[in-house]
Amino acid sequence: MIQSLIFWLLAILVAPFFAAVILKVKAFFGGKKGPPLLIHYYTLHKLFQKGSVYSTSTTFIFKLGPMVSLCTAVTTLMFLPIAGNQPVCSFSGDIIMILYLLGLGRFFTIAAAMDTASPFEGMGAAREAYFPIICEAAMFMILILLFKLTGDLELSAFLAGDQPIRIWQAAGSPLLFVVIALFIILLTENARVPVDDPATHLELTMIHEVMVLDHSGPDFGFIELGAFCKLFFYAALIARLACPFHVGQPLLDAGLFGVTLLLVYAAVGVTESIMARYRMDKVPKFVLTSFALAFFATIITLEFAK
Amino acid sequence: MHLFLTALLIILSGGILVLPLNRQFTLMKTIGAVSIVAGCLMGLYDAGTKLIRGTSAEISFQYLKQFNLSLQMDGLSAFFLVVIFSVSLLAAIYSFHYMHQSKRCLATAVNYLFFSLLVISMALVVTAADILTFMLCWEVMSLSSFFLVIFNYQAPENRKAGYLYFVFSHIGAMFLLTAFGILYAGTGSFGFGDMTALSNTAKILVFIFAFIGFGSKAGVFPLHVWLPHAHPAAPSHISAVMSGVMIKTGIYGILRIYTLLNFHTPLFGEIVLIAGIVSGILGVVYALGQQDIKRLLAYSSVENIGIILIGMGIGMIGVAYGKPVMAVFGFAGGLLHVLNHAFFKTLLFMGAGMVQHQTGTLAMDSLGGLLKKMKITGTTFLVGSLAISGLPPFNGFVGEFLIYFGGFNGSGLGKTHFAISVLAIISLAVIGGLAMACFTKVMGVAFQGEPRSSVVENADETGLMTMKIPMLVLSGACLLIGIFPNLFIMIAIKATASLGLGYGRLPVEPFLELTGKITRFSALFLALFTLILCLRAWLYRGKSVTHAGTWGCGFTRPTAKMQYTGSSYAASILEFFRIVAPLHEVQSKPTRRFPGKSHYASRVNDVAELYLNTVIVNPFLSIFDKLRWIQHGDIHLYIGYILLAIVVLLFFV
Repeated sequence: MIQSLIFWLLAILVAPFFAAVILKVKAFFGGKKGPPLLIHYYTLHKLFQKGSVYSTSTTFIFKLGPMVSLCTAVTTLMFLPIAGNQPVCSFSGDIIMILYLLGLGRFFTIAAAMDTASPFEGMGAAREAYFPIICEAAMFMILILLFKLTGDLELSAFLAGDQPIRIWQAAGSPLLFVVIALFIILLTENARVPVDDPATHLELTMIHEVMVLDHSGPDFGFIELGAFCKLFFYAALIARLACPFHVGQPLLDAGLFGVTLLLVYAAVGVTESIMARYRMDKVPKFVLTSFALAFFATIITLEFAK
Repeated sequence: MHLFLTALLIILSGGILVLPLNRQFTLMKTIGAVSIVAGCLMGLYDAGTKLIRGTSAEISFQYLKQFNLSLQMDGLSAFFLVVIFSVSLLAAIYSFHYMHQSKRCLATAVNYLFFSLLVISMALVVTAADILTFMLCWEVMSLSSFFLVIFNYQAPENRKAGYLYFVFSHIGAMFLLTAFGILYAGTGSFGFGDMTALSNTAKILVFIFAFIGFGSKAGVFPLHVWLPHAHPAAPSHISAVMSGVMIKTGIYGILRIYTLLNFHTPLFGEIVLIAGIVSGILGVVYALGQQDIKRLLAYSSVENIGIILIGMGIGMIGVAYGKPVMAVFGFAGGLLHVLNHAFFKTLLFMGAGMVQHQTGTLAMDSLGGLLKKMKITGTTFLVGSLAISGLPPFNGFVGEFLIYFGGFNGSGLGKTHFAISVLAIISLAVIGGLAMACFTKVMGVAFQGEPRSSVVENADETGLMTMKIPMLVLSGACLLIGIFPNLFIMIAIKATASLGLGYGRLPVEPFLELTGKITRFSALFLALFTLILCLRAWLYRGKSVTHAGTWGCGFTRPTAKMQYTGSSYAASILEFFRIVAPLHEVQSKPTRRFPGKSHYASRVNDVAELYLNTVIVNPFLSIFDKLRWIQHGDIHLYIGYILLAIVVLLFFV
């Protein structure tokens, strides 16, 4: 329990660091030096020092938005078996609850954006309401496969200890499809290229960044931290499935997990460097790919792997 | 049972008493509302104790010395009675300030009379224990709600809506009569208990006819066409009762027929599940395309009926394959969603009613910024939106959580049912996402942002206590069920226990242990939230907080008209579903060098409504047109018809 709590706190603390890896990789591809790896800590520190400017159009929902989105992300991490350790809490069905909890965070992010009366933020909100629907369908498709393989609906039953290896043994190579599907979901849910470009300068083409335009100071810091935690959650899912090995020694496992995580984040960076953002009407097709992959993985596994 | 009948008598006497008192407007409203409230409280107590103790009661009367009218209150009836009485109670309270047109005092009195009749007939429908009683009460229910829908009969579109509802409820009743006719032909008795004697083919026929009949009341796609017309036409507390509980009598009917037939074929489950999936997805897609808040809520009822049917379908498949755990999850989830939907949909209709009451419009794209002017309405509407999107820690999530579990349990079955379970799970996920898009749209466009027209300026909710209290109570209930679902899950499981589904009595504890985790999860979430709240307060201590206009991305003169509209918010999602939700556009584009006036209007078409005329109504009309020569107007020949009919009957019967 204590160990799980420590890992949970650690995950929140290192999430900003890992997110900076993406920037570093992108800078490398661009032939630039790039910001330091601790850049996000500086940003968070700076934001927490500031005061805030609120739009006169906004209501209490605008202030609730950042808190709820941070809270949902942090709660989500409590159920994540970090480095294969038992999570702080888990129960049968927790993964459904987690997916809906992330939905709660999204609801408030959208509501906070609509609160500002800005047409740009409305545009971003409409997209944020749209694309994750397909992601959720894909997530549940993956869940069905994992449920068939493990007979459980618990995140720790999928990812803790040597469970991932068992899943690989039962499913075999089709699980690669699941890893790729999860990667696409990660890119979509966390507003990365090719779905959304966090670094573009034109508000019209953004999704997540444009929704938080009016937030400032500690509120914005909460949003950033929440986004890092959410990214960490998805990256950890992929990392545990991509590198299912479990030694049994906490330090060694944590090290292995950390290295895999670095690779996942680097993969995000590489994707961002070599791809351009899709046109908005092409995005659903890209996201649907993840559903198709998960679907095929399920069919193949259930038909041939027995 | 006597307590129950007394309760109904109180409601009825109040409903009759308002007629002679209609000139004393306030007194009349008080009597009308108080009698319904008192009756509902008594009925609620009676049904609640029966449900928790797990007892049942019955009573029967002789009618015209010929027919036996009998009532029975078992677990399932008691569960629906709890829903009916609690929602009607709050709606009656709400009606006190909502019915404000003192010039239309007689119409208001008549409205209270039919409201009372509606409550009574709904209560009797779910307790009826034979075919005659059931059909009698069913007809009274349909008729009284028809009169409630045309309360504002001056507007032609409301009369049209009432007519459509009338036609649909009678086509539905016709199908029910057919189903009951087959029953009577097979058993020779009006009693509910004798249905098991039927042959299997007859059972399947009865179920299908009854499903169509009940489905038209429940608003199952494609029989939902009346819903989006009737709900906006009715006064808001009536739409709340109709959408919150009256359409659930259809669900009750399906469940009751299923139980009585006692024929556990997976076919029933498949029919119900597929109908649920189609209603669920299409309902929410059409809801997303609406501009009028009440129409949107009506379509969202179609969606929620779909979710309930998905749960029931999973339950029925579970029963058919002897998987009691799956069955209990499905049925309990569906029933719990009946209760939950009754609560949050009533809440949302009441919020919409408040908006209409104060601004005179329900068109989202003329509203905006209402949350600042109507804090309680806006906040409770937010709670309702969160609950209906199925998000934790609110009640909508709990029912869906159980249904998910049932669905995952079903994925262990053979290939066909694996595919169906997968379909159910994925559609639940998609419905959840679309419902969120739909209700962030209502919140964002109508309640947040800046006012889009001048109607919002005078919006205000001071006074009007009886309208605000029910909304507060309901949003409290939504949160309470969401955080402490165990009591409610227990009563839902108890209600399913009376279904007698052939697996005996299951221990409730494992289910409660599972859902008890929701409580702990919610507590954890709220604790973390409080922590973050404190952290935020600490970070903001002594900081300067200033206010300014919204950042216009470099544009310095933004106006409220530039805000994203509801139509544009939903456009890209609807584009994805354009096959089932075709967009109808009317526009005159700006032309020439100095363009004149141009306009653009769009509407999302409901395919069921679109094809209703061309596929069903027109062929029938053309057939009947060809038979018109029979009606020639010659009285001698009419007498000849009668004679001929009698002769034919004498020969053949």
